[in-house]
Amino acid sequence: MDLKTSIGVSASGLRAQSLRMRVIAENLANADSVAKTPGGTPYRRRVATFEAEVDRSTGATRVKVDSIVPDKSDFNRVYQPGNPAADAAGYVLEPNVNNLIETADMKAAQRSYEANLNAIEAARGLTMRTIDLLK
Amino acid sequence: MSIGTLDATAAYGRAMNALPPMPPLEDENAASPAATGFGGMIESMVGDAATSLRKAETASAKQVAGKGDLVDVVTAIGAAETALDTIVAVRDRVVSAYTEIMHMQI
Repeated sequence: MDLKTSIGVSASGLRAQSLRMRVIAENLANADSVAKTPGGTPYRRRVATFEAEVDRSTGATRVKVDSIVPDKSDFNRVYQPGNPAADAAGYVLEPNVNNLIETADMKAAQRSYEANLNAIEAARGLTMRTIDLLK
Repeated sequence: MSIGTLDATAAYGRAMNALPPMPPLEDENAASPAATGFGGMIESMVGDAATSLRKAETASAKQVAGKGDLVDVVTAIGAAETALDTIVAVRDRVVSAYTEIMHMQI
């Protein structure tokens, strides 16, 4: 039955969004991770990209995380002469993580996860009500 | 005069022996002997439900051990619940049909 398939599709959405959430958590946690050596590159922000994928056994289009790509934007340069990672001019390269962007991204992931949860709940409720017709 | 339960059973037994044997309830066109008639259908349904229940159990055990995926547990238990509920509903229907036949006036 298609309701079962739709639960599977929603489950793929849950998996994809939880992976996106993991990437966001990594970005937030590493917002201050600088290089160990002077002039080295700090943590680079990463973004999860999604892809539609046809499940051959059911013909349903699921979602899957295509890849986790690095964000190519520039690092922040902060003047911190005392930092061991500072270069000759006293500047430290900080990760290109913007807390505001990560928070917005996190909200989007959260909403998307909730939408998939609601879809699962609706599909399950319909299945149960159909079974109840037998009773 | 009272009729004991055993007397009635014995009478049924004699009547059963006197009757010609019942023809088997089998469909000649059926592909496999396991999937014939209502019994076969119930058997395959119960088998499917048992499989999904076992899957749900495995997923839950994995999750408890900290090696599983929560989404897998939820979907597996949902599938098992659906299968079991369907079987229970069908069984209730069968039982009520059976009791209805038993209450029929002869």
